[in-house]
Order: sequence, then C-alpha cells, then structure tokens
Amino acid sequence: MMGETNHKYAIDQPSIVAVTDEKGIITYVNDHFCEISKYTAEELIGQDHRILNSGYHSKELFAELWATINNGSAWKGELRNKAKDGTLYWADTTIVPFLNKDQKPYQFATIQTVISGRKKGQVAHKETFEELSHYKYALDQSAIVAITNKSGIITYVNEKFCTTSKYSSEELIGQDHRIINSGYYSKVFFKKLWSTILSGNVWKGELRNKAKDGSLYWVDTTIIPFLDKKNQPYQFVAIRFDITKRKKVEAQIKLSNKKAIQYTQVLESKNAQLVDFCSIISHNLRAPLTSILMLVDYLEQTKNKSERNEVLVKIKPVVNHLLDVFNDLVEAIQIQYDTNLVLEKIDLNDCLKKVLVGFDTQIQDCRADVQIDFTQAPVITSHQKYIHSIFTNLISNTLKYKSPNRKLIIIIRSFLKGKNKVVLSVSDNGLGIDLVLHKEQIFKIRKTFHKHPEAKGLGLFMTKTQVDALGGKIWAESQPNKGSIFFIELKHINT
Amino acid sequence: MNSYKKLTLVDDDEIFVFLTKKMIEQVKVIHLLNVFGNGLDALNFLRDKKNDADLLPEIILLDLSMPVLNGWQFLEEYTKLYPIFGKKIIVYVCSSSISSTDINRAKSINEVSDYVIKPITIDKLRELVKF
Repeated sequence: MMGETNHKYAIDQPSIVAVTDEKGIITYVNDHFCEISKYTAEELIGQDHRILNSGYHSKELFAELWATINNGSAWKGELRNKAKDGTLYWADTTIVPFLNKDQKPYQFATIQTVISGRKKGQVAHKETFEELSHYKYALDQSAIVAITNKSGIITYVNEKFCTTSKYSSEELIGQDHRIINSGYYSKVFFKKLWSTILSGNVWKGELRNKAKDGSLYWVDTTIIPFLDKKNQPYQFVAIRFDITKRKKVEAQIKLSNKKAIQYTQVLESKNAQLVDFCSIISHNLRAPLTSILMLVDYLEQTKNKSERNEVLVKIKPVVNHLLDVFNDLVEAIQIQYDTNLVLEKIDLNDCLKKVLVGFDTQIQDCRADVQIDFTQAPVITSHQKYIHSIFTNLISNTLKYKSPNRKLIIIIRSFLKGKNKVVLSVSDNGLGIDLVLHKEQIFKIRKTFHKHPEAKGLGLFMTKTQVDALGGKIWAESQPNKGSIFFIELKHINT
Repeated sequence: MNSYKKLTLVDDDEIFVFLTKKMIEQVKVIHLLNVFGNGLDALNFLRDKKNDADLLPEIILLDLSMPVLNGWQFLEEYTKLYPIFGKKIIVYVCSSSISSTDINRAKSINEVSDYVIKPITIDKLRELVKF
C-alpha cells in the first residue's frame, strides 16, 4: 500500500490524473485535477470527461483519440480544457488504456501536465503568423513585392511583380534586378540607391522600369534592408506600387501647363498688339479726323473767301493721309493674319538686285556706295515678298536718313548664326537713331525719329510685322550721327 | 501786370498749328510766342531761356505724338527742368488721343495742369487761358 501511495504521490505532484471507464465516465480524479479544473472530486466522478471540453478541438481529433485508445494504444497529444470557472488550460495529455484478457480496454488513465504558458506562446505565435499571412495577402494584392539578396539577386517575387513586369517568377528569380532597368537613370542614381540601402537605410523613390515586352511602367518604390545581428543587410525587400497612370496624368498636366503658358504668351503678345492698335486708333486715326473736323468748323465760321480757299485746300491732304494710315493698318493686320506663308529658296543677290533697281536714281544722285556680302549665306528659305519688302524698307531708310556731311555707305550682309539661324544686316553711316530715347518705339507704327518730310513712320513697323510673321527677330544698333545697323534673324533651313 | 499771356505750342500737326494760330488771333489775351514741331526743339528753347522768366511762356500746349522727342519724353525732361524756372508755367497736354491710358498718365504728372482732347474750339481756348 505504501508503495502504491508513494507511486501515486509521485504522479500526483506535477500531473493531473483521472481514470475513466470504457465509456469515458470519470471514476477517479486526483487532487491536482480538482485544483486545476476547479471542480471537486464529487462533481467530477460519474461525469463524462467531456465536462472539461473547451469546444476548441475538432470532432475528428476526438474521433482519432477514441479510435486510438479503443484500439488498445496510448494517445498522446495536447488538449485545451475548460475549468469550472471558464478558464482555459492546455494540457499535455497521455491516455493509457487498461486492457482486459480479451485485449479490450475496460478503463483509461488520463495523465496530463499543464502547459498553458507554453501553449499560449505557441498560439500567440500562430496568431501572429496568421496575422502576418493576412498582411502578406493584403500586400500581395496591392503591391509589387520582391526580395533580393545582398548582391541584388532576386530571391522572391510576388504575383503582382510578374503580372506587371510580364516575366514569370522563374525568369526573375536568380536574376539581377537590372533585368527591369529601363535605362532611364544614370549610374550615379543607382550608386546612391545602393549606398543608401547597403548602409541600412530605407530608400524611397519613383522608378521607371521596363517590362519583358519593352513597355515602360512607373513604380513608387520603397526598398527596406533587412539587417542581421551585426546590422549588416542580408536581404532587401522592395515594395513597389504601380503609378504609371498617375505618371501619365502628371505628364499630361505638365504638357497642358506648358501649353497654357504658350497660350498665355500668345495672348500677351496679342494683348500688346491690341494696346498698340488702340494707340494707333487713338493717335493715328483720330488725329487726322480731328484736323478735318477743325478745318470744317473753321470753314463754317469764316465768310472771307480767300481765307475759305486757304482752308479748303488743306482738307484733301488730310483725307489722303487718313486713307494712307487706313491702308497701312489693313496691310499690317493682313500680315499678322497671314499664317500660311509660302516659303521658297531665295537667292539673296537676285532679290537685292531687284530691290536696288527701285532706288537706282536715288543711289546715283547721292553717289552712295552699296557693298554687298552674301558669301556666308547666299541662299535662304523664306517668303520672297517679305524679304523683298524688308530690304526695300531698310534701304529706303538708309537713303532717307543719310548724313548730309558724308558720302553714304550702305553695307548689306548675310551671315550664319549657330546651325539653324541666318542673319541679314543692313548698315549705314547716316544720321542714326538715339536708341536711349527711342529704344521701345523704333518698330512701332507712325513713330518717326527725324524731321524728314517723307518720314511716315511706317517702314520699320511693317518690317517688324513681317519679320514677326516669319518667326524671326529684328533689332538695331545705332548711334546718333554715326549710323545704324539693322539685324534680321531668321530660321535657316539647311538644304 | 501783363494784359496778355505768352503761349508756346509744341505740335507737329500742321493743320492744328495753322488753325490754333487763327484762333489765337481772335482770342485777344494770348500771344503766340513760338511753335515747335517736336519735344526736343521745345526743350532746347526752354533750357536756353530758363533764367530769363520774361522770355518764357505762361502756357504750353503740348501734343503727345511727335517725332524725335514725343510729348511724354518732353515731360520727363521738363519735370527735371521746371524747378529752375523762376515762374509758373501751365502745361496742357493737347492730344487727339481719347485713350484713358494716355489721359490718366498725363493727369498723374504734377506739372501737367490738364488734358485737353482735340479738336479744341475757340471757347475751349478762352477757357484754358483764364486763370
């Protein structure tokens, strides 16, 4: 008996012991069983073992358990039991069947060791693992994920990586990440990226990658280095989001912004022209009208015949002048709206020769020295009529505003500026223009800078309008009483 | 006290000058001192006579659109010159422009007394010289 007691004591200490009959009805429980299950022995004996069932395990598990022990074998496993107060405890369980002569179990001894603490950790681990798999699922659904080792060799890619890059995971794994490099970034860029992640820092940025079929896609990229105990990265996880659509929209916005700026510039220049026209109408059209009105008023008030005649003859020139201004304006407006200019090859020597014919008498009268040098650019591609008109106006100015003190020298040149520009220049040693005073005005309509009877102020305005229509630039250098030089820069179409 | 006022006309429009001359003849209180066809000539005259108040005009009728030196450029120089004159000179900008830009710009200049839109009538001229 003593031996039996000792034996029982030894088992009782760490273990929960119960004995059930062949149907699972408890016939014996030890103290530890009562302590853990919080039931008294009286409450337990005569009850099915299921009184402790926490409902955690599947029916299959119990079926397997019963099958094992009914078969005469011991069952080992971990069970979660429920105490009387509802608390749960995990127990390392061994159920040993006691067999009769027929090798049939007639009772079962259940020996359990409480393992709640250990099991809790495992469950927590399992739960964390499950949560992690959820995260992974969520990430895989939304992001392009790849893992590379520290040499940059791809060791893992998710499905989205494959669908986006159009490579299979077999094609990607074992490859360098450069397989999707679109060649958009410099070596320095990637050097910086690597130095960031190799030093253990997270790299973030937008990358343009190339799929297998050559199509390009944009990804918002975060590369996270995983560090070992020595804080050295042993692998890198790259999480990317496809932002190709956003990039496209951004590019569109950029383009429309650029267009908007261009339109604004056109509008501003149109607005400046409008202001110019407003000023033209206010000054250049209204002035002669005012004169006519004043002349007519005077006529009405004067009865003296000779005075009337004196005034009458003044009316017609003003009307003619008004007509001139009108015609000039219409022509200028036409130039501005003439967008379909026919461009053709122009032999500058031929063109200038035709222009000079018109000035033959004037040039001979003042014995002007006309020097021509078109050797650098003898042929240009432009609008014949405008080039003719530009030369005519500029040469006419040199003759009109020549100095009375010296022989007029006119130099007409063409030269190349850069690869795709040609410049025409007309210079003289005439009266010149005070550009300090007139800088902003020299190309405006009806601005005259000399007290010359033929100065109409139209030539340079028209020239500027024509140069503008050709998409060129015009500017002048001049010094009073030394001379002027006008430059016209045009697009040079190399043939 | 002088019974007449001296007027300097700065305008390149021959018709306007011709008709203004005719009107001045009828408005007895004004004496046409001189006429300049551009701002520079007028400015040179004023510089020349700046120390001689008697030879300077009491009224200047100034056009805006002129060759060589226009009305605005004249005024720029004139404002610098004005403190030197030993007398009060009244400047009327007299232009055919009805643009509010021109009118406001002219009125913003202290030395400009008023902006007169052409055409001017003899009555307007009388009004201008009554001060």
